Amino acid sequence: MNIIKKPSWQIDDSEITSKELFDKRRTFLKLGAASLIAGSSIVEALAKDQIPVANLQYIKDKNTNDLKLNTYDEITSYNNFYEFSTSKEGVKPLAHTLKTENWKIEIDGLVEKPMTVDFDDLMKKFTLEERIYRFRCVEGWSMVVPWIGFTLADLIKYVKPLSSAKYVRFETLEDPKMFPDQSRGVFSTISYPYVEGLRMDEAMNNLTLMAVGVYGSSMPKQNGAPIRLVVPWKYGFKSIKSISKISFVDKEPLNSWQKENPKEYGFYANVNPEVDHPRWSQARERVLGKFFKQKTLMFNGYAKEVAHMYKGMDLTKFI
Amino acid sequence: MKRVLLFIILLIPLGYLSFELFIIEDVKDPIKYIYTVTGATAAVILFATISLSLIRKWINLIKYRRMFGLFGFFYAFLHFLNFFVLDAELDFSFVIKETLDKPFIYLGMISLFILALMSITSTKKLFRKYNKYHKFIYLVLVLVTIHFIMAQKSLSIIQLGYVVMILIIAYCKLLQQIINKNNS
Repeated sequence: MNIIKKPSWQIDDSEITSKELFDKRRTFLKLGAASLIAGSSIVEALAKDQIPVANLQYIKDKNTNDLKLNTYDEITSYNNFYEFSTSKEGVKPLAHTLKTENWKIEIDGLVEKPMTVDFDDLMKKFTLEERIYRFRCVEGWSMVVPWIGFTLADLIKYVKPLSSAKYVRFETLEDPKMFPDQSRGVFSTISYPYVEGLRMDEAMNNLTLMAVGVYGSSMPKQNGAPIRLVVPWKYGFKSIKSISKISFVDKEPLNSWQKENPKEYGFYANVNPEVDHPRWSQARERVLGKFFKQKTLMFNGYAKEVAHMYKGMDLTKFI
Repeated sequence: MKRVLLFIILLIPLGYLSFELFIIEDVKDPIKYIYTVTGATAAVILFATISLSLIRKWINLIKYRRMFGLFGFFYAFLHFLNFFVLDAELDFSFVIKETLDKPFIYLGMISLFILALMSITSTKKLFRKYNKYHKFIYLVLVLVTIHFIMAQKSLSIIQLGYVVMILIIAYCKLLQQIINKNNS
C-alpha cells in the first residue's frame, strides 16, 4: 500500500496565496499609500493636468536651454497623425484602436544580423533618458516636449549596420484595423505605410532620439506609441510615429511627404526660418499656449549640434 | 421676423467661436482655429448665397440674398483680420510681401477685395448701377475653393466631401443658367 505522507514543511493548497493576488500586492500597497496622500497637492496637480503616474525610469534632462514645457494636455491633444484624422484635435479620441501589445519591430537591410525584435525586449537594452526638445511643425506651430527615450545611435550600434549602409529608412505600421485612414483605399489622405528616412550621420547624431514616452510615462497612442523617432532640428513630419520597421539602405529613401508633394517637401526638412514653405512663411511660429508668435530659430535652435552636417549644401535646394 | 431669425442664425458661428476662445478656453492653437472657423463659415455662407435661387421653389429666401452676401464678406473680413492682426501682428510690410509672394495668400486677398467692392455697391442705389458686376461672386467662389484646398497639406475624405458638394452646387447653377437661357 502506498500511503502519501506529507513532509512537515508542506502546507495545504488552501493556504497558498494565489498568483494573481500575490502579483497584485504592490498595487494593493500603492492603494494604501495613495489614500494617504490623496487630497495632497501632488495628487491635485496630477489630476488637474491629467499626467499619468510616471512608469519609466530615466535620467533627467537638466534643461540647460531653459525651455518652458508645454502641458501634458497640450502635447497629447494636438497631434498630426493622418492615419487617424487630419484634424489635430481629432486624433486623441480615435487613437484607442491602436494596439501596442506585443509590438514587433523588423530590422533589415544592410545589417550584420537582420532581426525582428519585441519592443519590450528592445527597450530594456538601453538606458532611457529625458530630452526636453523644441518641436516645430512645418505648418507653423510648435511646442516643447519632455520626451523619454534612447538615442538612435545606441540602437544603430546594437544592430551593427554594414559599411555600405548610408541611410536609415523607417516605416509606420500598416494595419487598416488599427488605423482608420489606411482602410480608405484611393480616398485615404496620403499613401501608406508612412515612410521617413535619415542620412547615416543624422541618424548617429546624439540629438536623434527613439522616444518611448513623454512626461515620464509611456508614449500615448496619439503621439505615436509605442516607439517613435524624434529629430528636433527637423520639421515634425520627419519624426515618424509607431515604428514597425527600420531598414538600412544605400540610397536616399523616398519619404512620404516628398512623395505626396515633391515641390513642397524634400528629404531634409531642416527647420529654416529663411526658406519659406511655398504656401506660407516659416520665419515665425505659434508656440502652443502662448498668445504672441515667436521667431523660428535656424535648425530649430540646434545649429551648434547639427549645422556642420550641412556645410556646403544649398539649403534653399535641399529642402 | 424671418430677417431677425436669419440674422441670429448667421451670427451663430461667431458666437460659437467666441465661446470656445473666451469661455471654454480650450483651443490649443487659437490663430489656426480662427482661420478655420471664419474661413469655413465665409465659404459656406457665400455658397449658400448663390444657392438661394436654387431652392426658392421650396423656401423662398431670395430677398435676404444681400444679407447673406454681406455676412459672407463679414466672416471673410474677420478671416483677414486674423491674418493681419494676430498672425502678422500688424506687420504691414510682411503682409504686403506675403500677398505678392504666395499664391495661397493673394487668391484670398483678391477674393476679399472683390467681396469688399460688392458690399460697397450693394445699397439699393448703387446696386442698380453695378449689379452686373456682382456676377464676380462666381470668380470669388472659384478662388475661395482653390484657397481652401491650398490651405490643407492633403485632402482628407471629409474635405473631399466638401469639394464634391461644391461641384454639385456648380452643376446645379450651370443647369439653371441653361434652362433660363432656353426659356427666355
